[in-house]
Amino acid sequence: MTTRTVDGVRDAIEAWLGRFSFRTKLAVVWAFIFVALAVLFVAFQFDTQFMVDWLPYILGGVPLTILISVGGILLAVPLALVAALARISSNPVLYGVSGFYISFIRGTPLIVQIFFIYLGLPQLASYAPEALAPLFILGSVTSGILALGLNYGAYMAEIFRAGIQSVGYGQAEAAQALGMTRWQTTRRIVLPQAVRTIIPPTGNEFIAMTKDSALVGIVGTQELFFRASKIGRQYFHSLETPSSPR
Amino acid sequence: MDTNPIVSLRNVCKWFGQNEVLKDITMDVASSEVIVIFGRSGSGKSTLLRCVNLLEEPTSGHIEVDGIGFEAGPHTSRLRRATVHDIRMRTGMVFQEFNLFPHLSVIQNVSDAPGTVKKMQKKDAEELGMHFLEKVGVADKKDEHPIRLSGGQKQRVAIARALTMQPKVMLFDEPTSALDPELIGEVLAVMKDLAGELGMTMMVVTHEMGFAREVANRMVFMHEGSLIEEGPPAELVRGAKDPRTQRFLEAVL
Ligand SMILES: Nc1ncnc2c1ncn2[C@@H]1O[C@H](COP(=O)(O)OP(=O)(O)OP(=O)(O)O)[C@@H](O)[C@H]1O
Ligand SMILES: [Mg+2]
Repeated sequence: MTTRTVDGVRDAIEAWLGRFSFRTKLAVVWAFIFVALAVLFVAFQFDTQFMVDWLPYILGGVPLTILISVGGILLAVPLALVAALARISSNPVLYGVSGFYISFIRGTPLIVQIFFIYLGLPQLASYAPEALAPLFILGSVTSGILALGLNYGAYMAEIFRAGIQSVGYGQAEAAQALGMTRWQTTRRIVLPQAVRTIIPPTGNEFIAMTKDSALVGIVGTQELFFRASKIGRQYFHSLETPSSPR
Repeated sequence: MDTNPIVSLRNVCKWFGQNEVLKDITMDVASSEVIVIFGRSGSGKSTLLRCVNLLEEPTSGHIEVDGIGFEAGPHTSRLRRATVHDIRMRTGMVFQEFNLFPHLSVIQNVSDAPGTVKKMQKKDAEELGMHFLEKVGVADKKDEHPIRLSGGQKQRVAIARALTMQPKVMLFDEPTSALDPELIGEVLAVMKDLAGELGMTMMVVTHEMGFAREVANRMVFMHEGSLIEEGPPAELVRGAKDPRTQRFLEAVL
């Protein structure tokens, strides 16, 4: 008897739920999450006045975050292109060096690379000729851009290589039969076709880099994350500060 | 017909690893001659054509195109590049799969190489391109992209693209094999005009026996990397001496 009743109730609920579309249900789920967060916000006594007070300071890091990301991508794209072309060349030096670059960078954490460039390079300066020494001592922004550019260059090299190899070999043959050199073939025939497969994942990389630029804050660059965590630690409000710029 | 050969192959061998694909090929092609090369799949027909414009480098032997010689063997990369370039400037190639450039319009397909390779002014290159597009009957498609063309139109554009470089010899590797049957005729007609009107020297890999009989001066049968037998189409088709040629002809006719 009871199982009957349970089944009956279940069927009724199912029928009732069936009247709503997936989108409606999804909206309800999101509303619940939002409410739950708001409850937490109140329960943990988020200091809203504190957030409002420090928001301008933290948002002051936005231009630097953008600068680092854009600088990083501007460095990463040409690096990735060169590394990808080297990776498919038959020249053993180019092939070997690009292979080392790609696996080394992909095999070590970004944070280590940032520290290496910011703190490790200056140490090498003492071995360099005096005139060149300043080149090894980089500001935190410059080293951040350099680290992100090198890092993303290696990941994007694989994207570029796949894009270039997705262009059929017949294309290169046709171009060479017409008398084009290898470079002319690459530049005029292969790359323009590869770009179509390369662009969407490159956009994703740019978004990922914008987020990874937070790591650069660790070496004292006053970008968004650095400012947020500095204020957070200083006033024991670390829950609020990373939330405020969002 | 000029008796001085415009293409000559001397003892050309080609190995792919352990596989001997061309076995001591020696042949001459006279200026304005049309040669049809036929034989079973895998007999080395494509490789032979591709050795003429050095898309494949022969393992040994000598190739000469319009006075430019290439001896197989070690070369400095500068010499090799220069010779390869000189030979490719004298040869045009048409592929089974067309290999048109999909990111370029028809007129760009035909005029890009003259601009890039010969440093021709864009206007002149396009004018020359239009001339050949008219010749092959696709001038009205000049601003379309290849994807919008039928197979027959694509192959005719590919022929115009090769002609715009003004080669001395045209190499056709099964130019109609990827086409629907009703489109084969329009491409063969263009090739026939090319042989007749322009007196173009042509090496054609094809199994279109009607075309061969009508247009070719000479047919060459290849088998397992060797030239087995050759002769004027009428004679070869009716009176092949080698049993392998006879068997193949029976199968395709
Ligand atoms: N790049 C290559 N690497 C290794 N082997 C190859 C290569 N190109 C061709 N071959 C081999 O050489 C032989 C001859 O090939 P080829 O393409 O010249 O034959 P074909 O007569 O043109 O055949 P089809 O009628 O199928 O086009 C085949 O056995 C093929 O597998
Ligand atoms: Mg073939």
